[in-house]
Amino acid sequence: MELLIQQLFNGLTIGSVYALVALGLTLVYGILHIPNFAHGALYMVGGYVTLLMMTNFGVHYLLAILVSMAVVGVLSVLMERFIFYPLRHSPPIQDKVAAIGILLFLEALAQLLWGADYRTMPTPYGQVVNLFGLTLTMQRIIIVITAIAVMIALYAFLKKTFIGATIIAMAQNREGANLVGINTNKVAMLTFFIAGALAAIGASLTSPINLVFPGMGHLVILKAFVIIIIGGMGSVPGAILGGYILGFTESLGATYLANDYKDIIAFLLLVLILTIKPNGIFAKGGV
Amino acid sequence: MKKGKTIVSLFILVIMLFLAACSNDTTAPTSSVENEGKETNEDAEIVYIGYSGPLSGPAAYYGENTLSGLQLAEEEINKEGFEVNGKKYNIQIVSLDDKYMPNEAAANAKRLVQENKTPIIYNPHSGGIAAMQVFNEQDQFIVAAYSSEPDITQVGNSLTVRIPPTYDGYIEPFTKYAMERFGPKIASLPTATQYGKDWSEALLPYWESKGGEVVYNTAIDFSKETDFFTILTNALKDDPDVLFIGGASEPTAKLAIQARELGFEGGFIVMDQAKLDEMKAISGSYETFEGAIGTMPLIFSDYPGTKPFIDSYQAKFNKDPGSEAGFHYLSLFIFVEAMKAAGSVDDAKLIHEHMQDGIDSLPEDKKVYVVEEIDENGGFNLATQYGAIEDGAVAPVE
Repeated sequence: MELLIQQLFNGLTIGSVYALVALGLTLVYGILHIPNFAHGALYMVGGYVTLLMMTNFGVHYLLAILVSMAVVGVLSVLMERFIFYPLRHSPPIQDKVAAIGILLFLEALAQLLWGADYRTMPTPYGQVVNLFGLTLTMQRIIIVITAIAVMIALYAFLKKTFIGATIIAMAQNREGANLVGINTNKVAMLTFFIAGALAAIGASLTSPINLVFPGMGHLVILKAFVIIIIGGMGSVPGAILGGYILGFTESLGATYLANDYKDIIAFLLLVLILTIKPNGIFAKGGV
Repeated sequence: MKKGKTIVSLFILVIMLFLAACSNDTTAPTSSVENEGKETNEDAEIVYIGYSGPLSGPAAYYGENTLSGLQLAEEEINKEGFEVNGKKYNIQIVSLDDKYMPNEAAANAKRLVQENKTPIIYNPHSGGIAAMQVFNEQDQFIVAAYSSEPDITQVGNSLTVRIPPTYDGYIEPFTKYAMERFGPKIASLPTATQYGKDWSEALLPYWESKGGEVVYNTAIDFSKETDFFTILTNALKDDPDVLFIGGASEPTAKLAIQARELGFEGGFIVMDQAKLDEMKAISGSYETFEGAIGTMPLIFSDYPGTKPFIDSYQAKFNKDPGSEAGFHYLSLFIFVEAMKAAGSVDDAKLIHEHMQDGIDSLPEDKKVYVVEEIDENGGFNLATQYGAIEDGAVAPVE
C-alpha cells in the first residue's frame, strides 16, 4: 500500500512537469498549428537562466524563476516574430523545418556559451519530508503545488479574461477572430510568451532534481508531444490530463509490470487512446 | 515598421549580450584543430592524429574531456617536436564529432584516413570502436580505443590498442568489498547502454556465485529519465544492501543522492565510467556516497607522472583532470615513442609492432598511469587502483 501511494506521488510529480511543458506546446499548436520542436530548447534555456541568475548574481531561487520566465518568454516571442511570422504563408513543412533548426541552433549556442558540462541547480527547498511512511522532498511538493496553481491560473486566464478569450477565439477560427477585430499578431505573440514562460517554470522546477545541461530538453520534449497527441492537439485540458496519464502510467507501469517496459506501456496507451479517439481525448472544440 | 524592426534587433543584441555575460565558461573547447597548424617548429612536418568522439549532444562533456587530454599532450609534444629517422615532426590532432554514434564514428574514420592520412584514430566509445574495427585493417590505421569493454581486444583485430584496463578486473574486488562491508543483497541500476548491460552481465553472475542475491535488476536511460524516484522506490522495496550504479558521473551522482533521500543506507558499486571525484562535485561532499567503491580518481592517484600532469592540466583547463584525460594524454606520448622506435610515422602496422618499445621508453614524468605492457591482443596492462569512500573520504582499497 505504501509502495502504491509513494508511486502515485512520484507519478504526480513527474506528471506535473510533463503537463507544464505540454501546455506550452499545445497552446502554440492551438493558435498557429505549428508543432514547435524548439520548445525543448526553450525549456533548456529556462533551466540555464534560472541557474545562472542564482550562481552568478546571487538571486533567490523564486526570483530567478521569474527572471527566467521573462527571458524565455521574450525569446519565444522573438522566435515567433523572426521565424514563424515570416513563414506564415509558406507550406506547413517549412515551419517544422524551421522549428527543428531553432532547436539545433539553441542547443549549440548553449553549449558554446555555457559549456557541455552538467550543472547542478541548488534549491533552498532540499529538505526530505517523511509523511505517513512516504518520502517526499520539499522540492517535489513545490513542483506539484506550483504546477497545479499555474494550471488553474492559466485556465482562469483563458476562460475568465478578455485577453484570454481572444486566444481561444483565435484557436477556434483565425479568420473569424480577425473579422471581429482581434489583433491576431498580438495574440500570437502573447501565446508564444506564455508558452515560453511555462517552459521556463517547468525547467526551473525540475532542474534541482535533475541536472542542467544543453541536451536537457530532450528529456521532456518527446514525451510532451506524446501528451498533446493523447490529449488532443491544441487542447489545454487535454495537455493537463495527458501529462498526468503519462506520469502515472510510467510510475505504476514501472512498479507493477516492469521498468524496462514502461516506455512500451506508455506508447501502447497512446495507440489504444488513438484507436478509440483518433483525434485525442479532447479533440477540437478549441483551447 | 522599419523602426520597429530596429528596436527589435537592438533588443536581440541586448539579450545576446546578457546571455554571453552570464556565461562563465572557462573551459571553452579550444579547437586548435582543423587546418591551422601550430608553427612552433617552422620546418617540422606534421603527423595528423585522428579523433572521433561525442562533441555535441548529451555525451559532449565526456567527449570534451577525452579530447582535452590529447590537446594537452599535443601542445607539450609540439614544444620541441620529435624526431623519426632524423626528420622532425609535430603532432596535429584532427577532431571530428560523431555524436556518440557508431555509424558517424565510422564515417569520420573514413574521412580522417582519406583527408589527413591519419595513422592513428582515437575513439572513446565501444560502439564506434567496433564500427572502425570493421575496416581499419584494410585502411591501415590504428584504432586507439578508449573503452574498458573486453570484447574490443578479444575480436582479434591486429591494429587495435585498448588504452584503459578492462572492467572485468573490477568485478572481483568490488564484489568482495561491497559484500563484506554491507551484505549480500544487490539492486542493479546501471545506465541503459550496451556498456552498462555488459557490465551488469559480468557483475551479477559473479555476485550470485559468491552467495549474493540480486533483488532488482533494470537499467536507467539517463537521456530519457527526468526523475529517478520511481525507479529507486521500486529498487529499494526489497531492502538491498548494495546498489550497482553507473553511467556519466553527474547523473549517477544524482541517482545516488536520490537513493539516500529515499532512505537507502547501504553501499554503492560504481561502474568505472563514473568517477567518485566528479560525483562529489554534484553532492558537495563524499559523505553522501559513504561506502561507494569505484575506480581511483586520478587526482588521488600517485603514479610518477600524475602530479606534473594534474598541474599542467589545471593550468590549461582550469579544472581537475579525470582519468579519461589522463589516459588520452599518456597514450599519445606512448604512440610518439612507438613511432620513434618504428622509424615510421605513417605505417600503422609497424607502429603497432613497436608499441611495447613505446611503453618501455616512455619518460618517467609522463607516466600518468604506469602501463606495464601491451598484451598480444593490443590491450594495455596496468596495475589498477580502486578507491572507496570511508568516513567521508576517498581511501585506497587493496
